[in-house]
Amino acid sequence: MSLMEVNNLTKQYGQELAVENLSFGLEKGTATALIGPNGAGKTTTLSMLADLLSPSSGTISLADGLTVGFLPQYPQFFPWLTALEFTEMAARLSGVDTKKARLQAMRTLEFVGLEGAMRKNIGAFSGGMKQRLGLAQAIVHEPKLLLLDEPISALDPTGRREIMDLLKSLQQDTTILYSTHILNDAEEMTDQLLFMKDGRLIEHGSLDEVKSRHANPRIRIRFHNPAEAMKFAEEHPWKTYVSADSVYLSVDEEGPGMQQVLYTLSSEKQDILGVEFQTASLEEIFLKVVAGQ
Amino acid sequence: MKQFGILLQKEWRENVRNYKIFWIPCVFILLGITEPVVNYFMPQILEASGGLPEGAVFEFPTPSPDQILMAVMEQFQTIGIVVLILAYMGTIAGERKSGTATLLYVRPLSFLSYFLSKWTMAAAISLISLWLGFLAGYYYTLLFFEELEFSALLQMVGSYSIWILLILTLTLAASAILPNGGLAAAAAFAVYLLVQLADGLLGANWTISPMKLPGYAAAWLTGNPRLSEFVGAIGLALLAIIGLIVLGSWAAWKNKAKTKV
Repeated sequence: MSLMEVNNLTKQYGQELAVENLSFGLEKGTATALIGPNGAGKTTTLSMLADLLSPSSGTISLADGLTVGFLPQYPQFFPWLTALEFTEMAARLSGVDTKKARLQAMRTLEFVGLEGAMRKNIGAFSGGMKQRLGLAQAIVHEPKLLLLDEPISALDPTGRREIMDLLKSLQQDTTILYSTHILNDAEEMTDQLLFMKDGRLIEHGSLDEVKSRHANPRIRIRFHNPAEAMKFAEEHPWKTYVSADSVYLSVDEEGPGMQQVLYTLSSEKQDILGVEFQTASLEEIFLKVVAGQ
Repeated sequence: MKQFGILLQKEWRENVRNYKIFWIPCVFILLGITEPVVNYFMPQILEASGGLPEGAVFEFPTPSPDQILMAVMEQFQTIGIVVLILAYMGTIAGERKSGTATLLYVRPLSFLSYFLSKWTMAAAISLISLWLGFLAGYYYTLLFFEELEFSALLQMVGSYSIWILLILTLTLAASAILPNGGLAAAAAFAVYLLVQLADGLLGANWTISPMKLPGYAAAWLTGNPRLSEFVGAIGLALLAIIGLIVLGSWAAWKNKAKTKV
């Protein structure tokens, strides 16, 4: 079931197109990663989906009664409120019952790891704590759709790990759309990838689909030194390229399979350091797709 | 209107925790006390400062209590209004500019409740300040000068309250319309001065002009303003307040995209 359908979404500022003819859908219970370089239009897109900005043209259709939670990239809080006061207010403004709001706020703050700071003024919070509070205010009313703008980019590696785990645990009941430029993490939690550049969608699909289009699987054989690698490449008829101490064989119809490579290596008694099957990481794919435009 | 209560609680916390609820009344009380006290001690003040040349004889006519309270009103008309405009110019523009408004605007927010919560809190503090200021001034006037009917004071401050509400609502609406607090204050002053100028030049016959409210309020001290003119001016001022509230709520909604994301 489609929770949100975006059709030809466009946002124009004067002559400049910040977002151009963007179309995609969000299926219920999936996680979608919105990826793109700075200035690609990710924040503008999320702002339109969160109903902060109105599109210049195009439509956003939501499932009936859809509740939305939104975390901006740099959430700003009233410094003179405590975390609990703020989260409770957020819950009530989103329609949570007055009686339930406090309990729900406390549970959410516990969930994001702020149980010790609930009654402290937000003005005294560190950047990481504010990011957690930002997540708390986005999920406190148990929204069906969660829009997150760079939820983990400002965090240190430990904090990133923790927030990623929290988000993954939310995934069962929540549809998530998040923008990020930390592609290792995106790879971990994504059913759909959207690559944006200059306001346009330049590639999209599931992780597997995108990988099969761009990943260029290959076999890497590592030798002791570049000379040995060069020698091996020259002595074999395969399509290869050499980089430093390694030979790379592309895996396609004409190239050898892993089995054949292993057989050759062992029958020739080649003295190697290692052999492995590689696919391009999401980061490499991303750089390639962006550069290819 | 459920959101109104939630937001009003937030405004209350803000105004308590940034001390506006304390310092604005203090300014008005000080202004209110200054006039009667300075007038009473004027001879001593002049003597202490040695300002009068030897042999000069200077008659100080003792001011009447209504003159003292009118002087208090003049203080409020200048310094008091400046203080209120500066205190509340950033009410909405500031939240947008800092981005704190974003986490409110992404919810199903009633912008009328949003504007009204801010208006209610600002109006409460302004009116409490105004009343405390006048009561303090009245107390010292009774102490140092002659009697003045309390009912006359009530009528005067009551009428003047509508005038202060008008200025305050203008400030909040400007804050909803314009991108930052400084511009909102400048616009509120500009509108105030322009309308006053227009009323001064062209409004001689327009007796129900809200701009004449301070004058009508003062008239209660010595007698009473012409009732039909007074009621007309009050009615127009209330209409203008309601209009500005609607305009401000609409502008806050219209400008929600301008909040920092």
